[in-house]
Amino acid sequence: MIRLLSRCLLLAASSFTLLGASYERKESPTPRTTEAPAVTLPAADAERDTGAPPPVSSYPYYANTPDELIPFRGVEPYFRYWKQRLPFRGPGPDFPDPPNLKTLRIGLLSPNRLGPEGPRGERTKQGVLLAFEEEEAGRRPDQLPFEIVYKEDSPQWGSAANIAVEFKDDEVLGFLGTIDGDATHVALRVALKIETYMINTSDPDPTLTETQIPWLTRIFPDDRQQCFRLALLAVKERGCKRIAILRENSRPGRVGVMHFAHYIRRLGVPAAQHLNFKPGDTNLSVQIEAIRASNADAVLFYGQPEDVGRCASQLRAAGVQAQFFGFDRLKEEGFLKNAGAAAEGMTITYFFNPDRTDKPWVDFVGRFEKRFGRRPDIYAAYGYDGARLMIEAVRAVGPNRYRIRNHLGALEEWNGVTGHMIFDGRWDNIVPISIAHHRSGHWEFDAPPELKRSDQHASAGSP
Amino acid sequence: MKTTSHPNRFSRHTANLAAVVALGLVPSAPSADPETLPFPVITRFENFRMEQGMPSHKIHSVLKASDGRLWVGTWEGLLVRDSKGFHPITTADGLSHKMILGLAEDPTTGDIWVGTMRGLNRVSGGKVKAYLQTDSGLPNNVVYGVDVVGDHVWVATAAGTGDLNTRTGVWQIYDHNNAVMHEPWCYSIKGAGSVVYIGVWGGGIVEHDPSRGTFKEYRDPDADFHYDLVPDDGPVNDITSWLTWDDGVLWQCTYFGFSRFDGRRWRTWVESKSPLPSNFTQFVWSHRKVAWIGTDKGLSTTDGETWVNYSVSDKGTGLMEIHRPSQPVEKHTTDTALAHGFVLGVWVDDQEAWIATSDGLSHGLLSAAPGRRMAAHPTLPNTPKTSTDSHPNNITAP
Repeated sequence: MIRLLSRCLLLAASSFTLLGASYERKESPTPRTTEAPAVTLPAADAERDTGAPPPVSSYPYYANTPDELIPFRGVEPYFRYWKQRLPFRGPGPDFPDPPNLKTLRIGLLSPNRLGPEGPRGERTKQGVLLAFEEEEAGRRPDQLPFEIVYKEDSPQWGSAANIAVEFKDDEVLGFLGTIDGDATHVALRVALKIETYMINTSDPDPTLTETQIPWLTRIFPDDRQQCFRLALLAVKERGCKRIAILRENSRPGRVGVMHFAHYIRRLGVPAAQHLNFKPGDTNLSVQIEAIRASNADAVLFYGQPEDVGRCASQLRAAGVQAQFFGFDRLKEEGFLKNAGAAAEGMTITYFFNPDRTDKPWVDFVGRFEKRFGRRPDIYAAYGYDGARLMIEAVRAVGPNRYRIRNHLGALEEWNGVTGHMIFDGRWDNIVPISIAHHRSGHWEFDAPPELKRSDQHASAGSP
Repeated sequence: MKTTSHPNRFSRHTANLAAVVALGLVPSAPSADPETLPFPVITRFENFRMEQGMPSHKIHSVLKASDGRLWVGTWEGLLVRDSKGFHPITTADGLSHKMILGLAEDPTTGDIWVGTMRGLNRVSGGKVKAYLQTDSGLPNNVVYGVDVVGDHVWVATAAGTGDLNTRTGVWQIYDHNNAVMHEPWCYSIKGAGSVVYIGVWGGGIVEHDPSRGTFKEYRDPDADFHYDLVPDDGPVNDITSWLTWDDGVLWQCTYFGFSRFDGRRWRTWVESKSPLPSNFTQFVWSHRKVAWIGTDKGLSTTDGETWVNYSVSDKGTGLMEIHRPSQPVEKHTTDTALAHGFVLGVWVDDQEAWIATSDGLSHGLLSAAPGRRMAAHPTLPNTPKTSTDSHPNNITAP
């Protein structure tokens, strides 16, 4: 097993200023961002702010998916899950703090740097590092410093489970990670056993938070939300009738498009084709012929951006005129490089407009560029937010894993540099995401969705 | 392996009579009739916490071996209890990791197989041998479940199921590449006659017949995690957190409710619509046709019709609820209580129960044995309670 372990003891003073006001919880008013996410909270949520007990319908059901896309619509199921959050009922919050602590250890589980997610993991790590460096720079003398326990996943199947155990051996108070859905799943199951909270900053697998393990918060909007945005866009706004799905033959590919296939079927447009390709495939003649034969008017892609770029280019070269749709990763340069002119007209979901001009984002971009010499991407930004959230929890409740869990597990909303977050009954950030179009060599972003929120929430200071 | 045959076999009639006498059950409704209880109840809990020598708050697993010794898997090593008391077995003794997840006995040799957070261990003749992912055929070091079937040791790991032939030393791995597992993440395993049941995280239940090399899946028919569309249609959810089998009945734990399959039909239970106290079911032990379920809200016992739920009140007193079909719920307070309501492991035979909890180990004396008096629930607010963990050292050594 290849396992690389290094620790970065962040004791050196940083030259950066900690701008705590930018990512305070909702109690502290912050400037409204231009990327106001649209989520309609039920009236019941307002009751929670008054201190009333959580009502039965506490959280947006089904990750805030529109009713017309929910399965068996019109039929009340025997039992609905995640209307309320599962509490952790074990002992621990009253346990004494660990004695003789010299640092506050936080784990960071990264993908293997040589694997397909390696570059994204490196960018996540940079965001995490910046957050901890800023925290160290602003640390009071009476506060313990943080220490990152950094571990990389290995290609060996199930490695992340073993690494999560190592986090327990290293007595981390919580951990961050990772991107790969398989690795995150097995680490999460260990998190339940070792009772150590996990903040996920970049795994889009919809099933991750649907495992009912109350030791996880995900701040990265998942593929379910991308799927329903894309399904509504393709079918209802663009009027597509024959949609082909062309995706990577892998678990991320399978679960990534799973809900899109369900949603377009429920909208009356079952997939005309559902085709796979292997990562790195260059000969796509069979898939292209099948798409041509189906006379598809739209193609949804899922896969690494380089592969999808190659697919798009070959489809256009074969004369396929269908509209192209895809997920967030296509904004990476690898797609444009391989797609060439075929990138024109591609429509993707994306988390927010990275060129937005609100102060928290602009300040973060500036600090990140100064530290690393390049502009942050969404992996760096969500990594930064995840680290800030973990730091905030530890500072708020002290070095007790159970109190950290209770703090994070109770989080309703939070402001990060990536924008405002709203967490549902699965501890998932369900803030709706944006749409981007590649036009004339540039990505253009639609205006952000309107934010529909209750007066009580607005008056609480949230954007 | 549990003891499945015992000279003092449980007699339903005598045990029920004993329950009435020993418990002093007071029906909370005229229709309630304690004599109809189809299985024994726990009359008294005796608890072992860190103050009584447990090395950690959390106890993950417990097993009483056929020689009478009790094996206890904790966060901080393995304990074995004999007539002289508890004796620790730690990493210094060769254990591959301190955190124990599962225990099983080889009935032929008396060896104890120990699943840990890092490797499988065999305790044999006072020595520990470790099997790791990197030096054996173990699929992954995180071994959630272990069982012994004939000459084979079966393990459920974070990356597949392993089958060790103890005669040849040959391993076989089963995962999504060579079995019908929707996902390879295995969390529980149990021999069931000629087949092995594998609890798969996200893959429901896989039934494997080693002699034929066949696999069969049992999946949640509604195929969605956000709801259970209809009850009793199959496994309540595909995320199996534990399973067990005995006497022809398969039981499944999930964090979405609880399921039973008797070979012909499925039954499912979810909280608030059944006696199941919580959907978060994390362990089940079955003895004959009765399941003992570890939840995050206590211990439940059921034969699929009648339920007895044991929980701990906010004040630490014991609560027992008896749910009979079409009868009002009987609620009782008890003098003693589980060490904690977060139950992680159970071992039960006809006479006693051992319960692993997140804050200690509990020993439950069943209704066939002398018990303590309980008060009917209507008097709960005014009923003085001892809520004792008393006499941990008074347990008769096995």
